[in-house]
Amino acid sequence: MSVALKNYAYRSLHTSKPAQQAPSTTSEPITTLAQQGSNQLSLQVPQNKAEYVLSTLDKVTNWARQGSMWPMTFGLACCAVEMMHMAAARYDQDRLGILFRASPRQSDIMIVAGTLTNKMAPALRKVYDQMPEPRWVVSMGSCANGGGYYHYAYSVVRGCDRIVPVDIYVPGCPPTAEALLYGMLQLQRKMRRNRKSVIW
Amino acid sequence: MVSLIRTVRNMQRVGLREWWRQMQYIGDAKSGRLVGQDQFGNKYFENLNPEEEIPGRHRWVDYSQHFYHASQVPPEWHSWLQHIRQNPPAEDPVMQASSPSWKAPWVENLTGTRGAYRPYNTTTPKVQAWDPKTAPRS
Repeated sequence: MSVALKNYAYRSLHTSKPAQQAPSTTSEPITTLAQQGSNQLSLQVPQNKAEYVLSTLDKVTNWARQGSMWPMTFGLACCAVEMMHMAAARYDQDRLGILFRASPRQSDIMIVAGTLTNKMAPALRKVYDQMPEPRWVVSMGSCANGGGYYHYAYSVVRGCDRIVPVDIYVPGCPPTAEALLYGMLQLQRKMRRNRKSVIW
Repeated sequence: MVSLIRTVRNMQRVGLREWWRQMQYIGDAKSGRLVGQDQFGNKYFENLNPEEEIPGRHRWVDYSQHFYHASQVPPEWHSWLQHIRQNPPAEDPVMQASSPSWKAPWVENLTGTRGAYRPYNTTTPKVQAWDPKTAPRS
């Protein structure tokens, strides 16, 4: 266990200071410091010409994907109301190209908003299976993240990650529309990291 | 409010080059008073003229990084940006007084980088995994 933990770049455990690796003197943003030695860097600094071509292809793909995220709305409970707020005028998801699509065949993200019950779980999985690749899942709210308030209930799935693979967990009960939108932006960030053709 | 006249006026004020940058990052032509700059180089603007900016859009941030997101705003400036405090942190006496020495430096959300938070468990596992041992077949 301890050996496995050593391999990871993780924050120091028993201190109240959140991150020690932030020197205030350098002008570099901490994200570049955190990316040092990452194998994901082929997108930013391609090593050779082939990698340059492939990572450019990847960038175009990522740009296209993150510019038109069509979520399949899986509104199950009160979180769905906050999800609707994200679509409404104030937070206005349309400006990011996020359009709700009520059909799994034409959507690429599924927002699981609310309590996933045992009865609903097969339907959720079926809808997920109907979505075309590439697909992402945003788990919204405590109930979808890990059961939440209903963790010990007899009829509730303890987190929708038992049914489908989840990309982004949005915490909160319910999360604000702001939080969900931030989650979608983090999902964009995740899409930007895609480097499928370089890996291939 | 988001009219052609306003866009042209703001374009004239900030200049073509800056306008182009703003359209890439903010998505709107904005001009206003530079209120301050935080430790990461994000610039904070304000335009209190209701004829020029809708009240509610009168404070905005211009991020310094290319891949920007909202957690790059430190909490002091966040409270100014969201109208929790009236004055910017440098001029706010309450903010100055309530900055304790043990306060840790602000770090943005590092999700998806190598600095991301990784949960761990320090307790001994309650469940012992079954280690299958089969007798060799003869």
